[in-house]
Amino acid sequence: MSALSEMFEGKIDFHGQRLVDQISKVVLVAAAIISFIVGFAMQSLQVTFFLYGVCIVILALVVIPPWPMFNSHPVKWLSVSEEEKKTK
Amino acid sequence: MHSIISRINNVSAFLSSCLMCLLGAIALSSFVFTADPKGDLAIASVKVYPAKLQRYPREKQEMAFVNFNISADLTPLFNWNTKQLFLYLEAEYENNQGVLNEVVIWDRIVRRKEDAVINVAGKNKYHFKELSRQFRGVRAANYTLKYNLMPHVGLLTYGEAATSPAPVEFHIEERVS
Repeated sequence: MSALSEMFEGKIDFHGQRLVDQISKVVLVAAAIISFIVGFAMQSLQVTFFLYGVCIVILALVVIPPWPMFNSHPVKWLSVSEEEKKTK
Repeated sequence: MHSIISRINNVSAFLSSCLMCLLGAIALSSFVFTADPKGDLAIASVKVYPAKLQRYPREKQEMAFVNFNISADLTPLFNWNTKQLFLYLEAEYENNQGVLNEVVIWDRIVRRKEDAVINVAGKNKYHFKELSRQFRGVRAANYTLKYNLMPHVGLLTYGEAATSPAPVEFHIEERVS
């Protein structure tokens, strides 16, 4: 049961979160600029929105599932015995 | 960004902002297109007959019947942001009280660039009546073909495509011949 809920939560570590943030911002802005330019050159709004839609789907596939590359820097917790020594 | 839900939330929020900017850019791009096509409008005849409307059979209403020829090539107006073109033929005249009247007597919606070459020899689509029910004392009318460009995103723009070269008098007939 907890494995299922962990799968739905899709946790990634902090390095992964920063990477996801950078990727999504860059791709969203770049895709908007590129699809505007290509659509303007071809004089077709359909091209603009189709291109933008494709970029968004690709971005969603890269960024939303918790891929292993986003979990490559797990948090290093201190071991329990060291904490007990400190409190005593 | 720690869970799937928060990643979806984050990405969709920034996506909607980017979409609004994209739409704004598309609306602004309409200002780059400054086409002003002109055509020809010839009024073949304007006849005013005494008529009886079905709704008010007792009223003595005079109605004008206009035959015209329009030829215009409006394809320069179609750019990527053009949704449709609303064309209308307007008659402008001053009645005997000195009030300026503008009457739309024909219109057409053009949705594709291929349909934008207009060659029409037609008559008025809508009733051309005077508010005072008589066309006596009404000065000659000017006929203009105007258009309203409706974009997909952005401001509506208006323009004039053709106008009658000289004011056209109303010929008042006594009865339908």
